[in-house]
This record gives sequence, C-alpha cells and structure tokens, in this order.
Amino acid sequence: MGLPIANQIRRLRFEQGEMTQSELAEKIGMTRQTVAAIEAGKYSPSLEAAFRIAHVFGASLDEVFQWTAEREG
Amino acid sequence: MSFREKSAWINLAVLLAVFGIYFGALVTGRVRHGLESLHLLLWCVGGFVVLQAALTAAAAMTTPGDGRGPLDERERLIQMQSESLGYRVLVWLVLGLFVPIHFGHSALDMANFGLLGLVIAGLVVAVAQIVMFRRGA
Repeated sequence: MGLPIANQIRRLRFEQGEMTQSELAEKIGMTRQTVAAIEAGKYSPSLEAAFRIAHVFGASLDEVFQWTAEREG
Repeated sequence: MSFREKSAWINLAVLLAVFGIYFGALVTGRVRHGLESLHLLLWCVGGFVVLQAALTAAAAMTTPGDGRGPLDERERLIQMQSESLGYRVLVWLVLGLFVPIHFGHSALDMANFGLLGLVIAGLVVAVAQIVMFRRGA
C-alpha cells in the first residue's frame, strides 16, 4: 500500500545539474534521509515543505507532486 | 544512517546493556536487595550517562553535518509518535504495579518494578523510532 502522492523529485534533481539529495536537503532545511523518504514515496511532506521543494526547482507544485488516488488503500 | 537513527540505536543498546546488568544481578541474586542493589543502581545510572554521552558524541562526529541540525518535520513526527507509544506503554505498566502490590511485595521491590517499567517504556520508544526510520530508508 503506497502513499497516494507520486513525485518527480528525482528527475527534477537530475535536470538541475545532477543535484544530490544532500544538496536538495540543505536547500529546504531537511535531512538527506527525509528527502530520500519523500522521493521514494515513503513519506508525504507538509504543504510548506512541498512548496519549498517546488521553489528550489522553479516548478509549480503539481509539476513536482501528483495525486494518484488509485494508490490509496 | 541519520544522526537521529544512530541516537535511537544507541539508546536501545545502552538501555539493554546497563539495565540488563542491573536487573540480571537482582534476578540471579548476585546482588542482595537493599544497600547493595542501590549501589549497583547508582553505578548503572552513572554508566548509562557516560556511555550514552560518549556514544552520542561519536555518532555526531561520524555523521555528516546535515544530520546534526534541528529536527526536521519527519524526525519530529517520528519522535512524537514514538514517545506517544512509549507513554501509553508506561501507563499500562504503572497500572500493572497493582499486581505486585496485591502480592505484598516490599517498597524496594515496588521501586524496582517501577524502574523496570521506565526502562521498558524507553526500549519501546527506541524500537519504535528505529522501525519508523528504517521504513523510510
């Protein structure tokens, strides 16, 4: 049973000059492990964290995160 | 492994080691109840503090900088959920103290049962944190 939110963080990181998880974590004020958990779909970030991530990539929220209702339950 | 996860493992290991020695000595009769057990307890508590501090310092030195800052939102959530679970376990264990009271155990025995309850709650918190950190790994 996965979380109902998919994300494009890994792809966007690589498009941003192969940004590492640590670099992204530092930019948004989180640990690398939390970024890894978000990227793997094992943790849903707060709204503020989601906006911070989108801001780092210069993308809109729904370009970074997608609601996938069929994954719920 | 993040610094917080290392801390959880350290808590688990030190609790098991130090209080394993204390309660093991009590149960096997290697130390008699009373002043002797109190001395052992004081040594164990001191050892717990020193060991925990030393291992935590070592963990901090071996963890990259991004893992040693303030708790991030996921770490705060893990801390909150694990401590909530540990509190609930502690409440049930405290209620369970009525059982030895019923069987007429001494005040010193009751103190040791209470201490055991605290240690078990601490173990539950540490294990819960480790499980939650590992799930996100």
